Amino acid sequence: MKILGISAFYHDAAAALLVDGLPVAAAQEERLSRCKNDPAFPLQAAEWCLDHAGLDPEQLDAVIFYERPALRFDRVLMTLLRAFPHSWRIFPKAMKNMVGEKLWVRGIISAQLGIPTRRVHFTDHHISHAATAFLTAPTEKAAILTADGVGEWATLTVGHGSKRAGGPAEINLLREVRFPHSLGLFYSAFTAWLGFPVNEGEYKVMGLAAYGTPRFADEVRRILQRTPDGAFALDLDYFDYHRTVDSAYSRRFVGLFGPPRDRFEPIDLGTAQGRHYADVAASAQAVLEDVMVDIAASLRKETGLVDLCLGGGVALNGVANARILREAGFERLFVPSAPGDAGCALGAALWADRILFNQPHRDCPDHPFWGPAVEPDDLARLAAEDGLPFERADEAELIDEVADAIGRGAIVGWMEGAAEFGPRALGHRSILADPGDAAMRDRINRDIKFRESFRPFAPVVPAEHAATYFDLSSGGARLGRFMSGVFPVRPEWRNSLSAVTHVDGTARVQILEAELAPRLHALLGAYGRRRGIPVLLNTSFNLAGDPIVTSAAEGYSTFRRAGIDLLVADDVVVHRDRVGHQQAVEAIA
Amino acid sequence: MFIDRLIWADPRRRARKLLQFAEVEAQGARDLFRAAEIADDPQLRRRLFAHARDEVRHAELFQARGLALRRTIADPGPDRALGDGLLPGERGFDRLVVEQERMTGLLAFIHLSERAASRAFAAYGAVLDHDPETQAVIGKIARDEEGHMRYSRAELSRLAPGHAPRALWAARLRRFWRAYLRLALILADMISKIILTLLYFLLLAPFAWVAKRAARQEAPGWCAATRPRDKGGGQY
Repeated sequence: MKILGISAFYHDAAAALLVDGLPVAAAQEERLSRCKNDPAFPLQAAEWCLDHAGLDPEQLDAVIFYERPALRFDRVLMTLLRAFPHSWRIFPKAMKNMVGEKLWVRGIISAQLGIPTRRVHFTDHHISHAATAFLTAPTEKAAILTADGVGEWATLTVGHGSKRAGGPAEINLLREVRFPHSLGLFYSAFTAWLGFPVNEGEYKVMGLAAYGTPRFADEVRRILQRTPDGAFALDLDYFDYHRTVDSAYSRRFVGLFGPPRDRFEPIDLGTAQGRHYADVAASAQAVLEDVMVDIAASLRKETGLVDLCLGGGVALNGVANARILREAGFERLFVPSAPGDAGCALGAALWADRILFNQPHRDCPDHPFWGPAVEPDDLARLAAEDGLPFERADEAELIDEVADAIGRGAIVGWMEGAAEFGPRALGHRSILADPGDAAMRDRINRDIKFRESFRPFAPVVPAEHAATYFDLSSGGARLGRFMSGVFPVRPEWRNSLSAVTHVDGTARVQILEAELAPRLHALLGAYGRRRGIPVLLNTSFNLAGDPIVTSAAEGYSTFRRAGIDLLVADDVVVHRDRVGHQQAVEAIA
Repeated sequence: MFIDRLIWADPRRRARKLLQFAEVEAQGARDLFRAAEIADDPQLRRRLFAHARDEVRHAELFQARGLALRRTIADPGPDRALGDGLLPGERGFDRLVVEQERMTGLLAFIHLSERAASRAFAAYGAVLDHDPETQAVIGKIARDEEGHMRYSRAELSRLAPGHAPRALWAARLRRFWRAYLRLALILADMISKIILTLLYFLLLAPFAWVAKRAARQEAPGWCAATRPRDKGGGQY
């Protein structure tokens, strides 16, 4: 069967194509539209998936949308009614939003792709998350935990799944916590209060938390309470997301934690105010972790299963993931490369294939590289037209050259093959640099990523050397495969890895097996032979506010805009010009 | 002139305007970088790239001045206030979808946008005698916009010799059409808001009572997972 999965209309739209039970292509719309977190119907992504597989839309057996729009409408309407009359300002906007577009997804998909409406199907938002996490994981039986802001009604679900190659697959969600009680929205409220954009700034809260102490944990527990049955409930007096358009938190929240941060002013951790923000972030993070660990531990006892598949936006919280692995009793924790809503496109397609259409399960390739491939010829042409020095090199030469350059302090834009599906750069669209120099972190933050100085960078290490440098708990290598866990850097290596060691001595490490990205693995080896440590700083290849680059032209553009010294696309290497040639070619008339 | 003077007299609004301009310029830079990425002609690509870098610089200048001004105000107020909408000339490239444009159309559009911006900034500079620092920033950027006007017109003539006037007229009509659509959308939004608010207060109260009653009976904590009503791929 040929099934196209689609997620759209809220944030980070995506499309994923399944042919005969296996993924063949998946892409986030933002990577093609170049509009960060693009929520629009993913027409470009869908078209790219179909083109990549050589299919026309009419050849699709089914298109599946990642959630049920009518159920979501039910939740929106019910929430507005429950908040009456305080919801009067949000009501017109919500109705225009839902009735104007989001309720008519079947028609939109049919019209945009030119397929009959009977081929359009739907599944539950959290089933999509569960399917993304479980059906892509190399395990036959696992407990499943999904947590995000909100889908239709559910905000957190627990269950279990089973599957075997050639046999049936099953996903059973047992229980759920429903809106408005939501761990994702709880964390987003702190994100907004800290002056970061919701659905994007959650990473920053996690990064900031490491600078603080959780001295407000009791206050946070007052607003995120545990229920006697082991779930949780928010004290809604502290939140406003269920009744206003423009604020996630209420005046009582401000009364408890103080005035929100002015988003225009940087956080200065040297001041009492800056430390206060860090302490509140640390408190929210600690309480979130406590709840997640507790729920996961209960699930472990209940199911008796040793593997846990974790999905939903909350699964992007690598610190919480590592604590779950360490404390909840599971042996392995599987987090897909795209656990958020974008990944639901793939999960929905897998669910439709295995469960809606009862097709036998096939094990999915365990990698994240489902996006468009880079065209090195395009890069060579662009460099030639602009008179920049470039060369084609065989693999051994190229790896030696790049390893030497990084050893000399160069920052490298590294593009290889198909782009990653998901928010992490896992070695195909990465910026690589020396991990040993703290000044390098500051340089990349300042000159390339243009972002807050408190945000850490991630390292990438070959799997066979990971335990030497990082204190991985049992099962940590799996969690680090898609950079989903934060682990301590071993104390004796922290100085040598200062650019990738966060203030609390941890790192969100990518643990790279050779078969996942052989060239990057070889580069790590070459770098290790020169410098003694086979670890590189690996951050996503984009600038602040931009999606990760996809094509050679986008990589080239980013290379020109930022302080990157060397750009690699497969076998083509472009060097930054030494003496102002760039200014000359860019001089405006 | 009177309206400009009114808008720019209030330091809070002035700071908000500058920060708003910073966002517009930053978005304009993204559009231009994108245009450079898809341009086939190397010379045009380089010029679009240089233009984009100017926009980045402008965004930084506006941001720095806006923040400096904001820091002098005891209570800067909300990020947005009534009447903060962008005026003609301030919209930059106004949600341009670069990939959907032909390069001549894009250049004509850039030329007209820059011209409008240049005029707007010149007018603002004229009413900012009381704030020489902001005046200097705006004056500098207005001069850059004139340079952008010239290069975009020159590139248009180079790439579409003999067709430039037609492309400019087509772009003018499109800008007019966009302005009309924008106005229509604002009106439609206002009308729908009024109707839906009336509906809210006139019709929803009894349903709200029922919904609140039902909510009171729901205990927080775990619920049994939702089962799809149609056992399959339906919307409910």
